[in-house]
Amino acid sequence: MSNFISGIIGFFTGPKFKNYLKTLKYSLYMILHPFDGSWDLIHEKRGSMAAAHTIVILALMTRLWDMRFSNFMVNHTRWSEVNIIKELASVLVPLFIWVLANWCLTTLMDGKGHFKDIYMATAYSFTPYVLIGIPMIFVSNVVTQEEGVFYTYFNVFALIWCVFLILCAMMMIHDYGLLKGLGSSVLSVAGMAIIIFVVLLFFSLISDAVAYFVSLYKEITLRAS
Amino acid sequence: MKKRIITLLMLLCLVITGIPSAKADDDWYTYTYNFWGDETASPDAYSVTNVFYGRNFGEEVGTFNDPEGMFVIDDLVYIADTANNRIVELQYINGSFELVRIIYTLQVSVKNQEMMRVYEQVADPIEGNENHKKWVPGEITLTLKSPYDIHVVKMDEKKREKMYGTSHIGELYVPPVPEPDEKEDGTDKTDDTDKTEDADKSATTSDSEDASDGDAATEEPGETNEGEGKDEPAKEPEKKLENVVKKELDRDYDIFIADFDNYRIIHCDYNLNVIGVVQQPKDETLDDQYVFFPSKFVVDDVGRYYVQAKNINSGLMEFNKAGEFTTYVGASPVTLSIVQRLWRRIQTKEQRKRTKQYVPTEYNNVALDPDGFLYVTTATLKEDEYIAKTAKPVRKLNAMGQDILIRNGNQSPIGDLAPGTAENIKGYSAFVDVVIFENETYCCLDRTRGKVFCYDFQGNMLYAFGNYGMNAGSFAYPSAIDKLDEQTFIVLDRKCGTLTIFEMSDFGKLIKEALDLYRVGQYDKSADVWTEVLKYNGNYDLAYVGVGRALLRQEKYKDAMDKFEVVRDGVNYSKAFKHYREEQVEEHIVLFLGILIALIVIPKLIRKVIRLRKEIKEA
Repeated sequence: MSNFISGIIGFFTGPKFKNYLKTLKYSLYMILHPFDGSWDLIHEKRGSMAAAHTIVILALMTRLWDMRFSNFMVNHTRWSEVNIIKELASVLVPLFIWVLANWCLTTLMDGKGHFKDIYMATAYSFTPYVLIGIPMIFVSNVVTQEEGVFYTYFNVFALIWCVFLILCAMMMIHDYGLLKGLGSSVLSVAGMAIIIFVVLLFFSLISDAVAYFVSLYKEITLRAS
Repeated sequence: MKKRIITLLMLLCLVITGIPSAKADDDWYTYTYNFWGDETASPDAYSVTNVFYGRNFGEEVGTFNDPEGMFVIDDLVYIADTANNRIVELQYINGSFELVRIIYTLQVSVKNQEMMRVYEQVADPIEGNENHKKWVPGEITLTLKSPYDIHVVKMDEKKREKMYGTSHIGELYVPPVPEPDEKEDGTDKTDDTDKTEDADKSATTSDSEDASDGDAATEEPGETNEGEGKDEPAKEPEKKLENVVKKELDRDYDIFIADFDNYRIIHCDYNLNVIGVVQQPKDETLDDQYVFFPSKFVVDDVGRYYVQAKNINSGLMEFNKAGEFTTYVGASPVTLSIVQRLWRRIQTKEQRKRTKQYVPTEYNNVALDPDGFLYVTTATLKEDEYIAKTAKPVRKLNAMGQDILIRNGNQSPIGDLAPGTAENIKGYSAFVDVVIFENETYCCLDRTRGKVFCYDFQGNMLYAFGNYGMNAGSFAYPSAIDKLDEQTFIVLDRKCGTLTIFEMSDFGKLIKEALDLYRVGQYDKSADVWTEVLKYNGNYDLAYVGVGRALLRQEKYKDAMDKFEVVRDGVNYSKAFKHYREEQVEEHIVLFLGILIALIVIPKLIRKVIRLRKEIKEA
C-alpha cells in the first residue's frame, strides 16, 4: 500500500510530471506569442501530447459547463434536448477531420508538420477559449441583461483569438509564408467538406450493400422453406 | 348536461354538411405557449355555453347563409346575413336570444329628405354638368344586397343634430326609375355594368322591380335548403321582401350597413330611415375601373368611416361624416429583403413582370377598441415574414395610421407559431377578426384553424383555444367575433351558420382580475390573484411574472428572481438581480474588501517569503 502511495507521490514529483506541467504552462506563452510560440512548440519540443489532450478535454468541459452553469439570460440550452455525446462529438469530430484534412493537404504541399504536430498545435490554440470561457461562466451569473453583452463579446473575442492562433500555428509548423499558410488552411476546410462527403457516401453505399445482402438472404431462406 | 345537447346539435350539423376531417392538434383544447414556444396545456379560460342556429331564433330567420359580419351593442346583436341579403337583429336576454327584427329594406322618408337627397342617375356624372341628376321626391325604399358588415353607434336626436346638422349630408344616386308598367329588368343589368352608382329597387316602382328582387332571392334556396327547405325567403321568392318586426324596441341608435353589392354604406336611424350614405369615392388615386365594394368598416365617435373595401391595399379608406373620401389610413409599407432586392436587380424587365408582385398587405377586418383606436387584421402575409418574425397580422393604429400595438411577449401575436401541415390547416394563422376588451386584452379569430387567440395589453399570449371542426367550440369557417360583455363573447361561423357563445371560466376570470388589478396599479392584490391562477395552472408563465413583480416591489429580491427564472424572464430577472446584487455587496462589504486585499497582499507575501528563503539559502 505504502508502495502505491509513494509511487503516486513519486509520479507527481517526478520529472515526467514536471515536464507535463511545464508543457501545459507553455500554452500561456504560446497564446501571447503566436508565431514564436508555435514555432518552438513543435521545433523546440516545448509542447507535449499529454498537455494537448488536457487542453482539448478542458475545452470540452468548458463547453459543457457553459451550457450547464451560465446564467439563463445568456444560455438557451434545453437540457431535455441535449445529448452530451453529441455535444462532445460536435467538437471532437470536426477537430479530428480538420487535423486529418490539414495533414493530407500539407503533405502534398511540402508541409513540415506531422499529424501529431498539427493536432498539438490546434489543441494548444484552444487555450484562450478555456481561459476566457470559464471566468465568463462566473461573470454571467453576476451581471444583468444589459451587462450580459460583455459575456457575448468576450466569448466571441476568445473564438477569434483561437482561430487566429490556429492560422499562425499552421503557418509555423509547416514553415509556410503568410499566403501559403492561409491558403492551406482554407483548402483544409474544403478538404474537411470532401472528407465528410466521402464518409457519408461510403456509409450510404455500405448500408445499401448490407440491405442488398440481407434481402438476398431473406429471399433464399423464404424460398428454401 | 348542456354540453351533451350541444354535441348532439353539432352532430346534426355534421350529418347535414358531411363528416369533417377535423384533426385535433393535440389532446387539449386550451393552451398557451411557454418560453420555448411549446404548446402547454391549460385549463379552459372560456367555455362554450351555447350554440345557436338561425332557426333557433324563429321560423322567420331560418338558416343563416354565409353570414359575414356581426355587431353587438348593449344587448342587441346584429348579424349581417350576407347571402340572404338581410340583417338579423337579436336581443340577448339571460343567455338566450330573442328575435327583434329582420331587416331587408331601408327607406328614405319624406321627413329625412332634407338630409338625404335621392337623385336619379340620368347620365354619367360629368364634371360641371348638373343635368345628370334628377331629384326624386317622395319615399324610396332601398333593398340590401349582400350586406357584409354592420356597425351601430349610440345616437339620439340631439347628438345627431349636433354632429350632422339638419341640412343635407348625403346624396344618394339610384338608377333611372323605369316606367311602372314596364316589365323588364334589362335596364337594371346595364346599370350594373355602368359602374356608376348602384342598382336599386325603389318602392315607387314596386312592381317592375320584383323580377330583379326575385333574382336575388332565387339564389338563396339553392344554398340554404340543405336541411329543410322551409326557410322564409325560399317560400315566397315572388313576393317582395319586407322587414319582419317581432319586437318593438325604442333605442337611440344609428345603424350603418355595408351594402356590399350595392356599392355603398348606408347610415340610418334605428327606425331604418336613411340619413346618409357612403358611395363610390371620387379620387385621383383610384383608377377609372374601380368599383367601391365596402366589406368591413367601423364608424368612430365623430362619425368618420374607416372602410376596408375590396381590392384596396393602401390601407383603410377614411370617409368623413358626410360620406366624402378623405384619405387612406394605416397602409403597411412594402419591405423587400436584401435577397429580393438583389434578385430584382438581376432580373430582366420581362422576368420582373412575371414574378410575384410585392404589394402591401390588404387588411381584412377592422375593429374599434373602447378607447377609439383602430385594430386591423390581415391574413395575406407572406411566409418569409413569419420566418423573419416581422409578421404583424394584427395591428393597432393610432391617428397617424401607425402601428402602435405593443409586442413585448416572448412570441409576437401571430397565432400559432408553427405553420400547419395538415390537409385542411395549411400555413400560418389567418386572423379575420379581433375583439378588444376594456382591459386592452384582445382576442383574434383564426380562420384556418378555427381558433381564438387572446393576448394581453403587453402582447403576452393569455390563452388560445378552438379547433377546426364542427363540434361545439370548434369552427369550420369563423367570420366574426364580438363581445356581449367583458366576460362573454360570440363567434359567428359562416359555414355552419352558428352563433357560439363563450363564457369565461373561473380560471379566465382570475386572469382577467389579475390583469385588471395590475392595470390600475394594485400590484400586490394582483399578485394574490396570480397565486390563485397558479393553483389552476402551474404552467402559466404570466402568473409567475405577476407574482415576481409583486415580490420585487416588496423588496424580496431573491424570491422574485426565482419566480422570474422559472419562466426565463430576463428583463425582470435583471431588475430584481440588480437590487439583490446591491444588497449582497452592502451586506458583505467587509468580506468583499477582505478578499480584495487578500488578493493583492497574499501574492506579495508569497514572493517575499520565497525571496527570503532564497536569501537564507544563499547565506
